[in-house]
Amino acid sequence: MAMTIVRYVAALLVAILAHAAGVWAAAEFALAVDLFLVLTVLYGLRGSSLGGLAGGLGAGLVEDVLTAGPFGLHGFANTIVGYGVARLTQRLVVERPSGVLLVAAAASLVQQAILASLVLLLLPQRELPEPMWLGIRAVGCGVVATVVYVATQRWRRGAETRKLARGKPLRLD
Amino acid sequence: MSERRTAWLLFVVLVAQLIVLSLQAPSPGAGGNFLENLLLRLVAPVTHSVAAVSAGARGAQDALRSRDDLARENATLRRDVERLELEVLRLSRLEQEMERLGAALDYSRATEGRLRVADVVYADHSSWLRTLILYTGENDAERNQPVISDAGLVGRVVEVVPGYAKVQLVTDRAAAVGAMVRRTRRQGVVRSGRDGLELDFLPRQADVQPGDQVVTSGIDGIYPRGLPLGRVVTVDEGDELFLDVTLAPAVDFGSLDQVYLLPPRAVPVEDEEG
Repeated sequence: MAMTIVRYVAALLVAILAHAAGVWAAAEFALAVDLFLVLTVLYGLRGSSLGGLAGGLGAGLVEDVLTAGPFGLHGFANTIVGYGVARLTQRLVVERPSGVLLVAAAASLVQQAILASLVLLLLPQRELPEPMWLGIRAVGCGVVATVVYVATQRWRRGAETRKLARGKPLRLD
Repeated sequence: MSERRTAWLLFVVLVAQLIVLSLQAPSPGAGGNFLENLLLRLVAPVTHSVAAVSAGARGAQDALRSRDDLARENATLRRDVERLELEVLRLSRLEQEMERLGAALDYSRATEGRLRVADVVYADHSSWLRTLILYTGENDAERNQPVISDAGLVGRVVEVVPGYAKVQLVTDRAAAVGAMVRRTRRQGVVRSGRDGLELDFLPRQADVQPGDQVVTSGIDGIYPRGLPLGRVVTVDEGDELFLDVTLAPAVDFGSLDQVYLLPPRAVPVEDEEG
């Protein structure tokens, strides 16, 4: 449990660093990719609904710190997305890269829909993001989530293989 | 934990967040939430480190520029300095004149008080909810402190933690600034629009033209009067009562790396509570 929290905090830290660097490099980065949503989806894909809920809540609240507007906007949306992805993973096997891409892209659209609904209710300026950016963001989140998912799966398999190789008894034929 | 309990936990978490969100609804972006304050304390130093690395990389890039480039730039800068010195002389004469007239009219100047410089350590000016995080150093900022750049009004401080401050940009969806057309003194409210800023509540008979400069009016109790907000780009006949006026912001939010904090104005008590 403690190790899981440490890993999550480390992943969140990487997401903050990458997000801040991305925004410095290109102003439209925050519009094109939501790294905190990617983190939420990846934690949801583990299949634990509690993990998805907590992962989404944490990532969303950190995202709220880095945006203006009411605090808790992204926290609310990402909590639902994280829980939803986890519940979906319990019913469907999502292991192929194409599956991860689809889930992350759909999660991005769901998150934007929730955010838009909350903004319509809470903010005086009832303006919504442009549809073009919604599409770009969904694709961006899908691609980044797939790349990170594939990379972590490969790394995990490699680590397991190395562990097995170390544990094999010596054969002296 | 069983799925049933997790579903209940989800329900409780969502309801709690909805309550927190609805409590902020009267003044979105006003800040003041304990959890937000705590998270800002943790996140701001991380973004600061990215900004520092970025500045270092830019410095190294500058250091690698050729000598010819530097000589050319030096000559241009010398010319600029001469021109600016002449401008300073002219402006100081104007300032003396203004001070004399202002004293005669007992007029309080818009940017009275000391300006404080703050470094921008995180800037998100393109996404849906726009913000800046500033490094304010040892002297903390104050909530509602106006933030300006050399081009005009940037926004106001909405959250303060030791060493850092979060700024709501004037282009943010939740921001509204009391404004006026400088040429005619006609007052309205500037808000974020699809293509920059919009000047709302300008009656259809108001005299406003493309190119007119729009500045703060000072009626909101937060921003002093006379800070540039933008220039009128288009004027269309809106609904039955008001014109549709779009503005190009005075500030290029993409190029902000340093801003200035103005001394906060005394905000009426009912405004702070409301």
